[in-house]
Amino acid sequence: MELFNNLLMGLSTALELNNLVFCLIGVVIGTAIGVLPGIGPIPTVALLLPFTFGLSPASAMIMLAGIFYGAQYGGSTTAILVNVPGETSSVVTCIDGHEMAKQGRAGTALAIAAIASFFAGTIATIVIAVLSVPLSVLALKFTAVEYFSLLVLGLIAAVVLAHGSVAKSLAMVLLGLLLGLVGIDVSSGVARMTFGIAALSDGLDFVPIAMGMFGLGEIIANLERPAERRVVSQSIRSLIPRRADFRAAFPAMVRGTTLGSVLGVLPGGGAALPPFSSYALEKKLARDPSRFGKGAIEGVAGPEAANNAGAQTSFIPLLTLGIPANALMALMIGALMMQGIQPGPQIMTEQPKLVWGVIASMWVGNLMLLVINLPLVGLWVSMLKIPYRLLFPAIVLFCCIGTYGIANSLFNVWLMMGCAMIGYFFIKIGVEPAPLLLGLVLGPQLEENFRRAMLLADGDFTVFVSRPISAVILGVVAVLLLAMLSPEIVRTRKEALAE
Amino acid sequence: MTRSRIDLQDLLFGLFLVAVAAATLVATRNLTVGHAADMGPGYMPRVVALALMGFGIFFTGRGLWRMRVGIAPVQWRPLLAILASVGVFALTAERLGLAIASVAAVMLASFATREGRLVETVAFALLLSGAAVLLFVKLLGLPIPIWPR
Repeated sequence: MELFNNLLMGLSTALELNNLVFCLIGVVIGTAIGVLPGIGPIPTVALLLPFTFGLSPASAMIMLAGIFYGAQYGGSTTAILVNVPGETSSVVTCIDGHEMAKQGRAGTALAIAAIASFFAGTIATIVIAVLSVPLSVLALKFTAVEYFSLLVLGLIAAVVLAHGSVAKSLAMVLLGLLLGLVGIDVSSGVARMTFGIAALSDGLDFVPIAMGMFGLGEIIANLERPAERRVVSQSIRSLIPRRADFRAAFPAMVRGTTLGSVLGVLPGGGAALPPFSSYALEKKLARDPSRFGKGAIEGVAGPEAANNAGAQTSFIPLLTLGIPANALMALMIGALMMQGIQPGPQIMTEQPKLVWGVIASMWVGNLMLLVINLPLVGLWVSMLKIPYRLLFPAIVLFCCIGTYGIANSLFNVWLMMGCAMIGYFFIKIGVEPAPLLLGLVLGPQLEENFRRAMLLADGDFTVFVSRPISAVILGVVAVLLLAMLSPEIVRTRKEALAE
Repeated sequence: MTRSRIDLQDLLFGLFLVAVAAATLVATRNLTVGHAADMGPGYMPRVVALALMGFGIFFTGRGLWRMRVGIAPVQWRPLLAILASVGVFALTAERLGLAIASVAAVMLASFATREGRLVETVAFALLLSGAAVLLFVKLLGLPIPIWPR
């Protein structure tokens, strides 16, 4: 019953008029950037962060969350109609979705994708609501020792489960941690690595870093590739799927939702891993696997459900433990901190309206997405006609203004420029920049808890393994790292993450 | 893509890490390190820097040792245009105001590609500048001058 009450409380927050408006703004922006390739949710959220200052914490989180799951919807639209995945998470949808469109069943594919997403979103909202309470109760027992181990687990798991070389990602996490240390040391008041620059004494803002590395670095790299010409020719005849289509798609939706919900909770899961796994599963379960790649409806329904479920359940570690599952969630933590809310296990009991409001808003937002996506699909597709040569200068300008806006400081604009250069360098040498962002955001917390734990234990490092919960968590870390040494697992990981 | 005798990607990443770690160690040399039970401000930076140094040496070594596909050559045009665009914004935003800074930033960014046509770019820059002033200054109340002071 408590769950029911919590959801009702959340719903009453989510249905407040201003929150509804921000939810709508979030999902509309999300759909737009989902449709447009070359702009991901990470720079968009970073870009909008400065402007969430004036909002209430709940409105800010509701809007930013809307961008994230809205992007998953938008990404599938272009995947189906133009064979261009708007987001990495919709790469799989291209395979069978676009094939269906070629056979003149674009409407069916779009409708099934939207319905699968909505179904998954609904179930995932319930999963979040059910899991959040016990997890946060457990988390309240945590001391600095357990919290430190948990942060380590979060970072390591995010590295192991995400794209790219594990060793390089670990190095990037460390680099992020190092950047997070810049500024005045909280316990001694001594300036560290500020090089005498006053703007650095409060530490590096992560918004210019995120925008430089993810937004601008990406743009520079995109411009190096020859421009693609896309043709949108598919006409959409009927948006209503036949009963047979629905019957074929439904079990795939259920399986995709389950898989996505589970994988989303894992650190590093987020939105990329679930659709790939779901597609593989559907292919394995199908009576006639050869249909896949030729317009199998399960190949659309399963992955679409999985990516939406995963996108939403990746909020669970954030809302209950204050640990981000991926770089985007790290930005969300940043948004909370800008609002003066310390993320962590206490957030559920201290800010119940915020947490449940965000959870309930996801369901509301999914409903909005269903409405704005299906009838307005033509509008979204026409956005693809905006050429990149007009798009990127606009993004550059908005990045500049947004970065300036966080602290009204030109220093941040220069910092963003430096990060753009470094981000481009990372892309060139094939290193994923996402782990750096995780390290940067979690760095200060990691140091604080480590120091507190050491202070409590009088400098005795064994405290991390002598306390049971911490020992179990670190055990999982050890298993994850050892597993990476096994050639067989490395091979399966490569296959699972290959695009 | 050319084949290269060394793994340039690994090598560059390794050298980058070594440089960052070395710079950190130099920059924090005067901070108190302390010991585990009572850490000084220099403790964590040093630990992280040493770990980075380890990774850096590992990647440098691996880069020299194995053969891989080289890196696609750097194209200067997009890189310089985007960086210049951000730089010009930083230089002009507070002095000349958002309206002029926006036009300059958009124009410079457009040089990143050869596809742009001058008339279109100018028109688009003016349009964006107007939109930016309306959205950020009028609507969101960003405290930035619109015109030169």
